Amino acid sequence: MSVRVVIAEDAALFRAGLTRLIEEDGHQVCAAVGDGDLLLAAVREHQPDVVVADIRMPPTHTDEGLRAALEIRRRHPGTGVLVLSQYIETRYTARLLQGNAAGVGYLLKERVADVAEFADALKRVATGGTALDPEVVGQLLRVSRRADGVAALTPRERHVLALMAEGRSNAGVADALVVTGGTVEKHVASIFDKLGLPPDEADNRRVLAVLRYLSS
Amino acid sequence: MGLPARTPAADPSSGDRRRGRRSWRSAPPLTRRAAREVVFCLAGLPFIVFNPVAFFVVAVDLSWWISRGARGNPTATDVAVAVISVGVLLVLLVSTTAARRLGTLHRRLAARLLGVRVAPPPVPAGPTWSGLRDGAGWRVVGYLLAKLPVSLIALYALFFWVGGLLNLSYPLLWGAFRNHPPGVRLDPVPVFTPFGLFGDGTFRVATLGGTFAAAAAGAAMLLAAPWVTRAVASTDGWLIRGLLGPGRLARRVHDLELSRASAVDDAAALLRRLERDLHDGAQIRLATLAMNLGMARRKLGDGDEVADAAAVRELVDAALRGAKDALADLRSLTRGIHPPVLDNGLADALASLAADSAIPVRLDTGIPVRPTPAIETIAYFCAAELLANAAKHSFATTITVRVAGKRAKLWLSVADDGTGGADPSRGTGLSGLAQRVAVVDGTLRIASPPGGPTTVTVELPLRA
Repeated sequence: MSVRVVIAEDAALFRAGLTRLIEEDGHQVCAAVGDGDLLLAAVREHQPDVVVADIRMPPTHTDEGLRAALEIRRRHPGTGVLVLSQYIETRYTARLLQGNAAGVGYLLKERVADVAEFADALKRVATGGTALDPEVVGQLLRVSRRADGVAALTPRERHVLALMAEGRSNAGVADALVVTGGTVEKHVASIFDKLGLPPDEADNRRVLAVLRYLSS
Repeated sequence: MGLPARTPAADPSSGDRRRGRRSWRSAPPLTRRAAREVVFCLAGLPFIVFNPVAFFVVAVDLSWWISRGARGNPTATDVAVAVISVGVLLVLLVSTTAARRLGTLHRRLAARLLGVRVAPPPVPAGPTWSGLRDGAGWRVVGYLLAKLPVSLIALYALFFWVGGLLNLSYPLLWGAFRNHPPGVRLDPVPVFTPFGLFGDGTFRVATLGGTFAAAAAGAAMLLAAPWVTRAVASTDGWLIRGLLGPGRLARRVHDLELSRASAVDDAAALLRRLERDLHDGAQIRLATLAMNLGMARRKLGDGDEVADAAAVRELVDAALRGAKDALADLRSLTRGIHPPVLDNGLADALASLAADSAIPVRLDTGIPVRPTPAIETIAYFCAAELLANAAKHSFATTITVRVAGKRAKLWLSVADDGTGGADPSRGTGLSGLAQRVAVVDGTLRIASPPGGPTTVTVELPLRA
C-alpha cells in the first residue's frame, strides 16, 4: 500500500534522509518543507494521507510543528499526523491526543533508525491508527496515579499494555512478542478486566482508553 | 576592533565629562544656564538661616535671654541647653523623615536648575518613622552643615551681580537724579567691587566722569559674576551628589544587583544557546546518521547476497560523514564551554587562540601570579571575542594581545591597526563583554576613533 506523505523538517540533511527512507518504502513524498506555514500550504495543496512534522521549526524554534499539526487535524481530519521530536513532552502528548487518537503519532526522531518500525508506524498513522513512542507510554506508566491498577498486572500483561498503548494492533503486539494472536487476545482481555475498562475492538479507541486510564 | 560604526564612541561617561568641561570653558557669561545658577544661589539663601548652626546660635541666645534676661555673657549651661535642644531637633528631623524630604527638595532644585540628576537614596522599608539609624537622613543634616559656607559664598556671588548692576547704572542715575546746577556739592556714591565691604564700596565717585569709572568696574564685575555663581553652583552640585545620593553602600548594592542580574541572564542565555546548539547540531546529525545506518542495514538484508551494494556504500559513507560532523560539532561546543587548553594557564590558551587567528597576532604575556580559573576563563573569552571582532570588522593587518598581571589586577589589551570605529552600542558583542567583565568588578575600555587604531583594554581582579 502506497501512501502520500508531506514532510516538514528544518534540518536539510535529516529531511533528505527521511524523504529517501519513505520513498524507498514505496510511498510518495508530495512535498518536503522547512517550516509550519509551508507545511499548512503543502497540506492544502496535496491533501496527503499523512504528514511527518518536526515539532521545533523556524521561525521561533519552539512548537510550530505541533501547532501546525493541530491545525491540520482540525482542518483535514482525513490526514494523519506523525510528529517527530528530539525529546518527549507530556504536555505535547496531551495536546496532540486531545480526545482523539485516530491518525496521530508522536515519535522520537531516533526511532527512524529502526526503519521497519518507523515504516509500520507511518502506515498506521496514515490509515487512522496511532503510533506513540515507547518513551511516551513509559512516562505515562511512570507518573500514573493508577499505580495500583497497573501493579495488579503480570509483567507480561504490563508489556502488552505498553505495546498496546503505543498503538499496535493485536497482530502487531503478537509480532513484537513473538507469540500467537490468540495469546495476545487473552492478555488484552485480562488487562481490560483488571483495569475495569470496557473492551473495544478499534485499536485507536483502545489506545485512548488506556491512555485516559493512565493519565486520570 | 573596527565594528562598522561611524560614531567615535567609547565610554559614554567620559564623553559627558568632556562635554561638561568644554561648556565650563567656553560658555558665554549671560546664558540661561547662568540665570538658572543665579536662581539656584537665591533658592539656597534661606538655608543660611535654616541651618543647624543658626539653630544653635538662636538656642544659645534664647536660653541666655530666658535665664538671665540677656544680661552678662551666655554661660556654659546656655551652651549645653542649646546643644541638647538642637540635638533633639535634629533627631526629630531625621526620625520623622523630614530630613529626607529636605534632601528631596534640594535634589529637585539641583535637577531643575543645575541639571544635576542624583538618584534618591533607597527608601527604608516600614512606616514613616524611620528611626535614628537613617543614614540618608543624617547625611542631609551633614549637607545642611556643609551648605552653610557655600551659601555664604553664594551671597557673595550674588553681590557680584547686584553690585555690578548698581555700578553700571551710575551714569544713568547720575543724569536722572543728580542733575543739580553747577556749584552744588554732591555726596559721593560708593563704587562696589569684590574687595570692598558690601555697603561702603571700595571707593567713592562724586562726578559724572567718575561714574563712568564705576560703570567700568560694574561691567567687569558682571562679566566675572557668572563664573562665581557657577563655582558656587558646582560646589553645591558636588555636595548634593556626594551627600544626597544613594550613598556609597547603596550604590554598590545597586551595582551588584545589576551585575548579578546580568550574570543570571548570561547564564540562562548560555544554557539556552547550548541546548540550541546541541539540538540543531550534534543531536540531529546523530539522528540522521542512525537513519542512514538503518536504511543501509535494511538494504543489507539477512542473506549473504547484497542486492544494491552501491546504495549501501553510499548510505554508510553518509553515516560516516555524519559521525565526523557530529564529532566536530561536539568538539567546538565543548571548546566553547571550557577550552581544555585553559587548564595549562592563560598564556598557553591565548597562544593557541593567537595561532588560530586569521590575522597575525603578536602575543605578549607576563602573568607572575596565576589568576583564579573564573578570571582566566573571562579573560580568555574576552580575548577570543575581541580577536573574532577584529577579524570580522577591522581590516587590520596585525593584532597585538598583551596580558599583564600587576597590583592584584589582570590587564588584557587587544589592539589592532584596523579602521577603528568600534561602538559597543551597536551589536551585542562588546556590551555583552562589558557586562561579563562587570560581574567580577572588572572594566572594559574601548578606544576606537574612526580610522583606527582600536585598543580594547580589559581590567580584571586576579581573584573572583
